[in-house]
Amino acid sequence: MGVTCVSQVPVAEGKSVQQTVELLARRLEALGADKQGTFGVDCETYHTAGAIGTQGQTGKLMYVMHNSEYPLSCFALFENGPCLVADANFDTLMVKLKGFFQNAKANKIESRGTRYQYCDFLVKLGTVTMGPSARGISVEVEYCPCVIANDCWNLLMEFMQSFMGSHTPGIPSVFGAKHDSVYSPGDTMVQYMELFNKIRKQQQVPVAGIR
Amino acid sequence: MADGALSPGVNLEAFSQAIAAIQALRSSVTRVFDCLKDGMRNKETLEGREKGFMAAFQESLHSVSRDLGELERLSTLVGKPSENHPLHNSGLLSLDPVQDKTPLYSQLLQAYKWSNKLQYHAGLASGLLNQQSLKRSANQMGVSAKRRPKAQPTTLVLPPQYVDDVINRIDRMFPEMSIQLSRPNGTSAMLLVTLGKVLKVIVVMRSLFIDRTIVKGYNENVYTEDGKLDIWSKSNYQVFQKVTDHATTALLHYQLPQMPDVVVRSFMTWLRSYIKLFQAPCQRCGKFLQDGLPPTWRDFRTLEAFHDTCRQ
Repeated sequence: MGVTCVSQVPVAEGKSVQQTVELLARRLEALGADKQGTFGVDCETYHTAGAIGTQGQTGKLMYVMHNSEYPLSCFALFENGPCLVADANFDTLMVKLKGFFQNAKANKIESRGTRYQYCDFLVKLGTVTMGPSARGISVEVEYCPCVIANDCWNLLMEFMQSFMGSHTPGIPSVFGAKHDSVYSPGDTMVQYMELFNKIRKQQQVPVAGIR
Repeated sequence: MADGALSPGVNLEAFSQAIAAIQALRSSVTRVFDCLKDGMRNKETLEGREKGFMAAFQESLHSVSRDLGELERLSTLVGKPSENHPLHNSGLLSLDPVQDKTPLYSQLLQAYKWSNKLQYHAGLASGLLNQQSLKRSANQMGVSAKRRPKAQPTTLVLPPQYVDDVINRIDRMFPEMSIQLSRPNGTSAMLLVTLGKVLKVIVVMRSLFIDRTIVKGYNENVYTEDGKLDIWSKSNYQVFQKVTDHATTALLHYQLPQMPDVVVRSFMTWLRSYIKLFQAPCQRCGKFLQDGLPPTWRDFRTLEAFHDTCRQ
């Protein structure tokens, strides 16, 4: 797994989510990127049920996420806590743990879109949807050969500027904690979790008609 | 029959004249047919046209007969080749062949001509190549065993212990570079050089000379399924494929036939500059990316980073 940066691109003025995604896709293709299939990242929220007796504190939120890049794995993470990488059967385990963790079904959020490859970069443009409505746009850029996060940040930023222009994000917070350790897929999922939380808190994007 | 001839029985001068006469005959026959095809157009009356056509046609026919007569005269002068042509045994193949089933003789001749040409071209090529000395080792070629002095130092046959010592010393030179030596295939050493957390290099050696290198990413698998070092498969990433090409250039650049350990040291020093492969911008254009690649070229003297297209 190479170093990855997940960020959000705001919807362009007067355009719909889909049109903005298409705009970004066209810019990428003009650079020379090749379309390489689709991707999907989804996130389900679980509340820790009060039945354990947590003395009145609000239950912690646990996120169970899937990434189509790692189809046989399931990621479970707490907000500021550790990230667990488990087998895909973890979902059925969560069903069995219904007494302790309750699924907040309304909070299911996912990002789906196309995957592009440019030289050693992998770019995923996704539409973030919660239920039936599109809420935002996620852009994931991965530089596959490098595994040390802080080494290639400048390189990544230069690449992102070439197609995202002024919407290039700042350095992700997970990079700061990494120092010189090897980048792992769990770090990508933490970034997605933060992005989804931010989008959930945002006001709903006005669903514009197709122009 | 023999008249100033180089080979017995064939008059070469008459031969070449006869060939010229054949060409003249061919052109005059072509003229006849062209004349027939084109006809006459530039006279006004039908009679005038007919007369002009007849005149031209007759003239071309006369030239044909003239050329044919010349050719016949020359062909009598040419003479026959001698019957004692020294074909020896291969010539016997040409007697009474069944051409379409066993075209042995013609194929034999072709093969012989082709191999002669090949030999000639190879001779030319070796003459040109020898002008530039490409040997990296100190062995001398072409000195016969009898004349070779007995105490000739040859750097191609070094004891493996010496090679191990040199590599171990280089391993200790740089803290971020670790070298593992193994000998899975006979006496040639295979090194696995790990440079920080950036890349891994597989170096195949021949005594103390570096033969081949393959550069792969830090997270790529360098072993085959049996657990042996995989020295053939390329990296999956374009940047490391480029660095592999540069490393091959480097191992050809650093040459010192009498002191191969200095060569290995310089090569490793050059390789070590790749620790900042993803961090260093290009010294010429100032950018990080060029066609999606970071600066992969390291100058041989100054170790500065350049893009492959930016290097001088």
